[in-house]
Amino acid sequence: MPQAEATLATDDGPTPDHVLTVEGVAVRFGGVAALSDANLSVRAGTVTGLIGPNGAGKTTLFNVISGLQTPDRGTVLLYDTDITKMKPHRRARLGLARTFQRLELFGTLSAGENVQVGLESSVKWWQWRHVKRKFPWVKEGVASVGGVPLGEPTGPGSLAVVTSDRLLEGVGLGGMAADQASAMPTGLARMVELARALAMAPKILLLDEPGSGLDDAESQALGTLLTTLAKGGMGVLLVEHDMELVMRICDFVYVLDFGDIIASGTPEEIRRDPMVQAAYLGAVSETDAQKTHMAATHGTTDGATGTTPGTDDGEATQA
Amino acid sequence: MSNFLQFTVFGIMLGAGYAIAATGLVVTYTTSGVFNFAQGAVGMIAAFGYWELVSAHHQPTLVALLLVLILGASIAGAFVERVLMRRLHGASAERPVMVTLGLMVILTGLATVVWSPTVQRTVNPQINGQFRLVGINIQYQYVLIIGVAIAVAAGLRLLFYSTRTGYALRAVVDDPELLGMAGVSPNRMSQYGWILGFFMAALSGVMLAPTQTTGISIESMTLLVVSGYAAAIVGRLKHIPLTFAAAIAIGLAENYILNYIEPHLSSSLQRDVDVSLPMIFLFIALVTLPSVRLRAVGRLTSMRAPRVASGKESLIGGAAFLVVAVVVSVAFASTNIKGTTLLTLGGMVMCLAIVGLSLVLVTGYSGQVSLCQFSFMGIGAFVMGKVAGGGSLAGLLAATAVCAGIGALVALPTIRLSDLYLALATFAFADAVAQGFFADGSVYGSGGLQIARITLPGLSFGGDTAEFLLVTVFFVVSAWLVLAIRRSLFGRRLVAVNDSPAAYATVGLNIGFTKVAVFAIAAGMAGLAGGLYGTVQQIVGTTDFDIFPGIIFVLFVTIWGIRTVSGAFLAALTYVALNQIWPSSIGIFAGLGVILIGRAANGILGIEAIHVRLPWVKDGGATTGEAPTRTFGSLALGGEGSRAAS
Repeated sequence: MPQAEATLATDDGPTPDHVLTVEGVAVRFGGVAALSDANLSVRAGTVTGLIGPNGAGKTTLFNVISGLQTPDRGTVLLYDTDITKMKPHRRARLGLARTFQRLELFGTLSAGENVQVGLESSVKWWQWRHVKRKFPWVKEGVASVGGVPLGEPTGPGSLAVVTSDRLLEGVGLGGMAADQASAMPTGLARMVELARALAMAPKILLLDEPGSGLDDAESQALGTLLTTLAKGGMGVLLVEHDMELVMRICDFVYVLDFGDIIASGTPEEIRRDPMVQAAYLGAVSETDAQKTHMAATHGTTDGATGTTPGTDDGEATQA
Repeated sequence: MSNFLQFTVFGIMLGAGYAIAATGLVVTYTTSGVFNFAQGAVGMIAAFGYWELVSAHHQPTLVALLLVLILGASIAGAFVERVLMRRLHGASAERPVMVTLGLMVILTGLATVVWSPTVQRTVNPQINGQFRLVGINIQYQYVLIIGVAIAVAAGLRLLFYSTRTGYALRAVVDDPELLGMAGVSPNRMSQYGWILGFFMAALSGVMLAPTQTTGISIESMTLLVVSGYAAAIVGRLKHIPLTFAAAIAIGLAENYILNYIEPHLSSSLQRDVDVSLPMIFLFIALVTLPSVRLRAVGRLTSMRAPRVASGKESLIGGAAFLVVAVVVSVAFASTNIKGTTLLTLGGMVMCLAIVGLSLVLVTGYSGQVSLCQFSFMGIGAFVMGKVAGGGSLAGLLAATAVCAGIGALVALPTIRLSDLYLALATFAFADAVAQGFFADGSVYGSGGLQIARITLPGLSFGGDTAEFLLVTVFFVVSAWLVLAIRRSLFGRRLVAVNDSPAAYATVGLNIGFTKVAVFAIAAGMAGLAGGLYGTVQQIVGTTDFDIFPGIIFVLFVTIWGIRTVSGAFLAALTYVALNQIWPSSIGIFAGLGVILIGRAANGILGIEAIHVRLPWVKDGGATTGEAPTRTFGSLALGGEGSRAAS
């Protein structure tokens, strides 16, 4: 389905569907298991966090989802469509967009042109007159991406140029459309990547550390932007080291460590999960952490100790 | 049976020679990430140097070997790494390819100057004599080559996997900075790699030279190790044992085909197979390689792209160019240079400039190195001559269409591989077409292929002036088209696929389709240029579209600026001018030029200092204005002008 049509239909608000499902994904590089048995799902209309220490396998999982890495086993579903063996561009056409931890911009193009490439990705170049038909929401004043209004197209330039300008404005880069992408500071360049991804009007947006290089105010603004996108019906999967941002905006969080999902739940549950604390802080011994994690998961406590640090409410986490 | 054994022994010997050269390529690539296109030329220089010392100056074999291999090749390897390659770190991906090609044409050019191609030179074996085993005669030289190849492979395996230096050599290309932090100089490791690579190139040249029973020639020795390229490709440029095994297999296959299959072919086909076989092996090796994995590398190119002229500027520039062409055609209508009218030479410049434009599209914009644009030009000229007796617009259309189709076929098998492999495939294609097609007497005929000047209803372009103006119009239209493509959605995609293939795929765009499309368009343009070239020259011959002139022209376009229309024109002008003045040294000029231009991605026209002096050369890059305050306003934060909050 063309991306534009696909996403414009999301204005009605969140749906309970799982837009992305990862089941039993494993990846080995030589003798090293980058992912062992990764399972996660992302609901439309939510922001889902994926956290974990460096080297946990987060980017590898993103690469598997977006098609840059073939898994040794496991499946990736976009709604009900099995996309495990699909080429990256086919996945993108189905509504999967991503950004990269290490910037992947079209460096010799301007910021505006970067966005235009994403915007026009469904247009066949030998049928250039179809450009207008591909952006009906701009022409007809619907003007939204992921449920977020862009405003009426104004001023000179083609529809693609006008729309890319509006998208850049949307991520805080108004007036910078002519800047060469590779000459921009990292924080701004990340926003160009984000605008390019949004230009595809995706159903599911994978963001790999979009907050790095942003100051506190910008990070706040990014959080608000992502929340708004999710409210528009888009599923957002966020890899981020800024825990404050993750805990503030995510509806659900997965924790990845050594290629395994070791915990999942609401931000509050994750904050209290001893396995997570062990993985991040090394504060609890592994055995203790496993015991308390089991307790937290099954709503029981270890009879020997009688208490489970950090799991006061004993609420079960979701797998 | 004895014949089979004889062919087998010879095949293994030949394969062993290839193996030495191929492992040298692997060593250089493993330690520097650069595929040394000059590997064959280094072997050729070593073979001629060895001949010079032993046959011309009567030096003992051992002394000659020491001088050529230890002193000559090793020092040359160290020099090339230090002076040419080290400064290319961080340069655009096609630049190391261009520099090694430059080195190749310099070495072949120098060899032509020093060793006259008309003199026949045979090299005596390092060990004379033969012995008899299981009913066949085996020369000691064969045993020496096989033994040396085994020793080299085993020694390298030992070096790479059992020594600290070997680990450092393997690590240097992956992460030189990390290696530096571990206390090992990455530059030194890279230099060791180049020394080893040159040593093995020279060794293969010296060892194989005596097996050339008809004598050594510059071109044949330079291209002799192409079968070694195929072996290195089978070994994926990193596995020495696999490379070695592939080299032996190729040597055997080559010898069996030549002795068992070729005799059953017609005489002209025999010759074609004979000369094209190494390139066919290389092409097969490339086609059978597994796909390269698309990786997000996070390399953000910092190159400032040349400014692209607007539609209005293109029209004005094109019109001005045509006016100048008319003035030139009037002013120099009767000027002759070395028996050729200036306007005929001008017509050749325009045709080559169109080929240059095709390179701007395929290499400059999309980053794919094509070394076979001259081949398409030759095929275009051939089609032009054969359709309606030449001289018709139908011929031009056919030349364009046929070349576009062949271009797509050449690109298709290699699009799933990295760009280096496309460069190699085009190298193989260019030589196979030159040797197996153009050189075939039945293609262009012994006296060349006659191609009439273009005639349209009521219009004839029989005179040099009319023909010159006609091809100039074709050039101007082609240039306008190339700029229009760059400004278009497709042009943005060409640049994007070059900048970041991973991002390109993840925004929903098909890398393979884009690459094949641009390659086919560029091939079609070169075919059109070939058709026009035929009408300008009125006769084309077997050597007009050889692999070396083609490579030299690519280098000139790189020197002037492979991302600009003006670069294509100036390259054509330089090529034709130097070909008139110093035809035998043109390769040296091209090689030195590309080395001097170094890492300047946009060539001479991209050098800032030139912009001051030449006002018509446009500014490079987009402007970076003062960063406005970021608000994230209109999309998410609300506030004035935002609908998100409402």
